[in-house]
Amino acid sequence: MIINNYIFIGLLLLAAIGFALAPLLVVRLIAPRKRSLSKSEPYECGVLTVGETWIRFRIQYYIYALMFVVFDIEALFLFPWAAAYAGLGLFALVEMVVFLVFLFLGLVYAWAKGVLRWA
Amino acid sequence: MIELLDPTSPLVWAQSQAVDLGWGLALRWGLWLVVGFLGLFPGIVAYMVWLERKAAARFQDRIGPNRVGPLGLLQPIADAIKLLTKENLVPAGADGLVHLAAPVLVIVSAFLMLAVIPFAVGMAPVDLPSGLLYLMAASSLSPLGVFLAGWSSRNKYSLLGAMRAVAQLVSYEIPQVLAVIPIVLWGGSLSLVAIFDKQVEFGWFIASPPGLLAFLIMLIASIAELNRTPFDIPEAESEIIAGYHTEYSGMRFGLFFLAEYLSVFAVGCLVTALYLGGGMPLPLVRFPMNLLGDSLPRLILVDMVLLAVFMFKVLLFILFMFWVRVTLLRLRVDRLMNFAWKYLTPLAIVNILFAGIWYECVIRAGVLTLGGWLWGWVVTGPLVVFAVWLVVWINRRLLLGGPAGVGRPSLGGTRVDAGAAPG
Amino acid sequence: MIRVLFLVIAVTGLASALATVLIKNLVRAALALAGFFFAVACLFVLLEAEFLAALQVLIYVGAVSILLMFGIMLTRGVQGTDPASRPSAWRLPGVVIGLAVFALLGYAIFQETGLGTQRAWGAIDPRPAIARGTVEPGAPRRRAINDMGKVVGVELMTRYVVAFELAGLLLTAALVGAVAVAHREDDEPSRGEPSRIPSDPPITTSP
Repeated sequence: MIINNYIFIGLLLLAAIGFALAPLLVVRLIAPRKRSLSKSEPYECGVLTVGETWIRFRIQYYIYALMFVVFDIEALFLFPWAAAYAGLGLFALVEMVVFLVFLFLGLVYAWAKGVLRWA
Repeated sequence: MIELLDPTSPLVWAQSQAVDLGWGLALRWGLWLVVGFLGLFPGIVAYMVWLERKAAARFQDRIGPNRVGPLGLLQPIADAIKLLTKENLVPAGADGLVHLAAPVLVIVSAFLMLAVIPFAVGMAPVDLPSGLLYLMAASSLSPLGVFLAGWSSRNKYSLLGAMRAVAQLVSYEIPQVLAVIPIVLWGGSLSLVAIFDKQVEFGWFIASPPGLLAFLIMLIASIAELNRTPFDIPEAESEIIAGYHTEYSGMRFGLFFLAEYLSVFAVGCLVTALYLGGGMPLPLVRFPMNLLGDSLPRLILVDMVLLAVFMFKVLLFILFMFWVRVTLLRLRVDRLMNFAWKYLTPLAIVNILFAGIWYECVIRAGVLTLGGWLWGWVVTGPLVVFAVWLVVWINRRLLLGGPAGVGRPSLGGTRVDAGAAPG
Repeated sequence: MIRVLFLVIAVTGLASALATVLIKNLVRAALALAGFFFAVACLFVLLEAEFLAALQVLIYVGAVSILLMFGIMLTRGVQGTDPASRPSAWRLPGVVIGLAVFALLGYAIFQETGLGTQRAWGAIDPRPAIARGTVEPGAPRRRAINDMGKVVGVELMTRYVVAFELAGLLLTAALVGAVAVAHREDDEPSRGEPSRIPSDPPITTSP
């Protein structure tokens, strides 16, 4: 049964891709196409682009992404716990408090270290 | 290849469950796909754009679109035709394939989100046992699309906008995901249909202090996830042109535009289904589901009522988004990130425990009683207020400096000195 | 039909895995890797483990690939044209090691023997379609498949509780480690200097 549902999801995926590509095809057929050098310049406020675009970014973005991954995984541990909570006792709540305290400590550490300060 | 197709081969037989599609199911799916996803939803989205322009015009003492058709009602169609006849420009240095794939990915994400929404009884496209998680997974695809759009354009403003956008999206995804967990806890399931059924029994989930807090966190995080004002730093016109879609013109820009409004609609549906009781007209009064008799006309009648109420709530949510957009100013980027990590995330984590307490007070009993409900409010209400106050207090304290703030991390750059320096 | 689906997914997955290795442009390679993660999620769906499939998409496609992209933005030579970053000397050893790991995995999979009374996975029979109800209702495996989230939660809270708490600890350790390695405090503007961000008017109660 589950796989049936996912076949619908698969069809929906294909339909969405088709929905996105079909108007682009129409554009290809009916819209004008006149290439010119100045049209294909990157639009940077009307000034010619200077230097390389694909440069190195600072590490702060990476640290935020890393924290995102850690907290995302944490949240995903919470999902099955929450779904099963009704059948579990107080013990489950205590376990989860312990788990949350661990992660809260991580957040506090990052905060105290000044990682969360976006400069 | 031949070996793999052999029925005795263990590799293939490990997944042996058959796929059986009856005619009824195929018809249902066909209707959903063609009428719903390819017809109705894009239509709703097109008229959302019209509504937003009209509403924004009213807020700003203008009239709004009124030239094309009566009340400007044909404006979305005119816009679509315009987009279709515009030239598709891709910058010379861009990565063409990725430039094409990015808007498709964003659209796919928005469409897939709508697949598990229970619009009324028996009116969810599919009911997945892990529906909520699936929905989160679908919505988590869009940051990747945004990044690819900005990167592939090979434009400095696009790339900067994309980096900002993704940093913002991932930061606000954490409180968004955490704010859903109380609902899972109360619903006892990840299926949105089961969550709706639970709300039929126990009232709208927003009608509780933890539910209200979770709803507010979800609301703020959703506005940020949708890149709408006041969280539209990724598209700040005055700073980085149009952000990650600077180099998108014509229909490719239209796809981003469509995806944005489709996501607004999807998030409206999600919030309605999770917190606002889906199609239930009243917060705590049980909808007479027993009207759902065996006869088909009754079923259709009840479903019509539920669907109308559902859509009304979504409409209110959308109008609220428009209202916020025309009212509030853009936040500064550092404050934006601070708000996600230092306010919303701690609150969302603590709120999970409050949700557990609410469960013990109200839902554990199995039936909704007024006594239990009031008791739940008495217990969790002060806790929620205290938690919000505490988080705000800690943040203010660090912000202002003062005795407790000296030598401690602070939020802004120089603001600590303002208190400490002898003026 | 399921076999056709399996073949399509497997071929797509293999193709994107190959593309990940072979494409020079780093962002495109990471995109191919995300495609491979998605193919793995599809395989989970085929195995009736939709909960895992959703997790796979959420964590790998949604989070890890973003991390990869931000990691790529830290490097030079995104397009793979930088001659200094071409590991030509390591090509042959790399291929040898890769093939060795592949052979080892293949050997392990096909030589696996069952644990106790269980049969080996390699010798599995056509298993009954669990979710479709050929097994009697309420059987544990069927329940597990029809509401996997809940069953995983129960297992995490009872049988695997130590592992669960350790995972929490590990996550915190990962966060602390990452912060300690990647964050340098001397990078920040010190308190005395004016920061680059225009600061607000000072919030003071006394002049």
